Amino acid sequence: MERRTFIKLAGATALASPLARPAIAQGTTTVRWWYHFDNPQHSPAELVAKFEAANPGIKIQAESIPWGGGNDYQTRLFAAIVAGNAPDCAMVRLSWAARFQQMKALAPLDDLIAGWAGRSDIADNIWKINKGADGKQYYLPLQYVVLYLYYRQDLFEQAGLKPPATFEDFRSAAMALTKADVSGFGLRGGAGGFDHWGPFVLGGGANFEKGGMVSDKALAANRWFVDLTIKDKVVPASAPTDSFRQIVDSFKAGRTAMTIHHVGSANEIVGVLGDKVSAVPVPRGPDGKGWTYFGDESNAVFSASKAREAAFKWCAFLSTAENNVVLNKFTGQLPIATSAAKDWTLHPKRFVDASAASLPIAASLPDSPKTPDFIARIWPANMQRALLGQIQPDEMMRAIEQHFHG
Amino acid sequence: MADGTGGGRSSGLPLSPSLRQVRIVASLSSAERRLPPLGRGATPFWFLLPALLVTAGVVLVPVAQTIWLSLQDYLLYDPDNARFVGLGNFAKIARDEVFWISLGQSFIWIVGVVGLQFLLGLVAALLLNQSFWWRGLARSLVIIPWALPSVIIGLMWTWMYDFNLGVINDVAMRFGLIAAPIAWLARPDTALYAIMLALVWQGFPFFAVTILAGLQTVPAELYEAAEIDGATPRQQLFHVTLPAIADVIATALLLRTIWVANSLDVILVMTGGGPGYATHTLPLYAFLRASSSMEFGYGAALALILTALLLGVVFLYVRRAARGIEA
Repeated sequence: MERRTFIKLAGATALASPLARPAIAQGTTTVRWWYHFDNPQHSPAELVAKFEAANPGIKIQAESIPWGGGNDYQTRLFAAIVAGNAPDCAMVRLSWAARFQQMKALAPLDDLIAGWAGRSDIADNIWKINKGADGKQYYLPLQYVVLYLYYRQDLFEQAGLKPPATFEDFRSAAMALTKADVSGFGLRGGAGGFDHWGPFVLGGGANFEKGGMVSDKALAANRWFVDLTIKDKVVPASAPTDSFRQIVDSFKAGRTAMTIHHVGSANEIVGVLGDKVSAVPVPRGPDGKGWTYFGDESNAVFSASKAREAAFKWCAFLSTAENNVVLNKFTGQLPIATSAAKDWTLHPKRFVDASAASLPIAASLPDSPKTPDFIARIWPANMQRALLGQIQPDEMMRAIEQHFHG
Repeated sequence: MADGTGGGRSSGLPLSPSLRQVRIVASLSSAERRLPPLGRGATPFWFLLPALLVTAGVVLVPVAQTIWLSLQDYLLYDPDNARFVGLGNFAKIARDEVFWISLGQSFIWIVGVVGLQFLLGLVAALLLNQSFWWRGLARSLVIIPWALPSVIIGLMWTWMYDFNLGVINDVAMRFGLIAAPIAWLARPDTALYAIMLALVWQGFPFFAVTILAGLQTVPAELYEAAEIDGATPRQQLFHVTLPAIADVIATALLLRTIWVANSLDVILVMTGGGPGYATHTLPLYAFLRASSSMEFGYGAALALILTALLLGVVFLYVRRAARGIEA
């Protein structure tokens, strides 16, 4: 009898517990937001508390998702969407937009953006870059970086060289600065290294249109780029697999004289090299054309969300001037809000200037569902094989052409 | 007394037909009496049912789903347009250069890693079976690599192998073993072996501990008898120790083969499969196709091939484990 009584009581308690929730919870909307910060010790708690205080009916459930070079975050996000368990909103990249569109996963935000006061604080060209293929606005811009060329001012001065403005200047400088234990250029052949290849090959005439990777110009530009490793030998022997950490650490350790990255690593590098380091836009090709990677980051609201307006409110809050500044302190990138960028002091000015000077040639990768696989698999495997002489540079370009156009 | 406690089946004592009937009827409850003989025999299966259902939920359903996926052209970002392609994915795999590269390297990977782990583990176990004053401490220390998470091991060895700052290049240069630093993980001729070494280091404690446990079950009398017969330590190792622990070694080898064949975490952290395809193994390739390319159909087909290849090893292991239970 005692056991039966216990079971009855336990059952009754379990059934009654949902009814016993405080009445106040009924009016609260919870917004699940996925984010990633490079430094996992940073937390958006301060921003969440500020937002919740100003919007008592909305509770933000911020979930930190491992970035894993972009692949981990992206795969989890897509898997969550397919499984019907996506967050209400998340940090997203432009290169995933086509895949989202194919899944009809995003909610258009045009009506909400039109009524948002912070709209005019974001530059028109940024809105344009972030527009969907159907002309609707699905992304709410959050922050950005532009890749530029880091160079060792002291080594350039000692060698009587100027920061390179053209491909040939770049090659001559790299050759002049390559010594026994120093390489002229810290090339990134590992994960994410397409942003080192792009300035020289896309800037040298290749493009993602049909036939754009196998034109004479494109093939010549890629051969020139591969020769930096194979013939000119101006890169470290580890270049084929070097990734972010290796290129930054080698540059900091004085093992390379130039490398390409963005303002996100400026404070770390200046912390070691001080005034010995500066930055300029990446060099331009023979016809004056240039290309550098526009590293975008936006927030998007998912179509399955039942809290579309509340989610937008949170995303808009993060892109609003002073909050945008706080967020960028955590991410180390540049604020999207014009008013926040004006008195930006979180990075040394010369790197912010190099970012701004690079904007005219900054571009993102094509809005295609095949782009993420190009970044994560096709480019690294073929680039590394070309850098190691396992395949000809032209074969690499044919593999990229085939990936996008069959 | 035996027949009076329901032990008629085992007692073997002869009973008159009428007495037997009375005894059986008395021992059955009214519910059982209604059940046909099959229902009564099925009772153990009812007790097993919850466990069977859980197993079906977490093993059989995903396996069936993987088989179903492998027959489709399924892109994670385009699930609405998934289409049935039959064995199309398998035909594509047969023509896929990267699959064959990965398969060949998987073979080197499994044989090299398991073989070296076993040899190192055997040597470590034999040493730890000797008596010396800090044996307890040594036995605890040897388990450390096994206790570390794979991702930590991958990162640790990546930095040890680092071209510019790595301790391996530094020490080798100081001792004059190499004239210039070597990019261990960026050279196709060294990358796979460099990762294998890291995994050998991680996995040998498993063999050491398992073999050590086996060594402690070898009766001392065998060694005494061998000594009286004039056996040298080497002869004792090959004719007493190894035959006595052969079962333990076989089980450990089979188990570790399955684990090593499936492991991709250390490779993923250290090189991601590069440079080029130099460190691609079959599970890593399946993972990359499923994760980076989101080609779940193709990835599932690759995973199934790996499973089929491993089934032989799994079969041997299960048969061995079942023999242990029966014994």
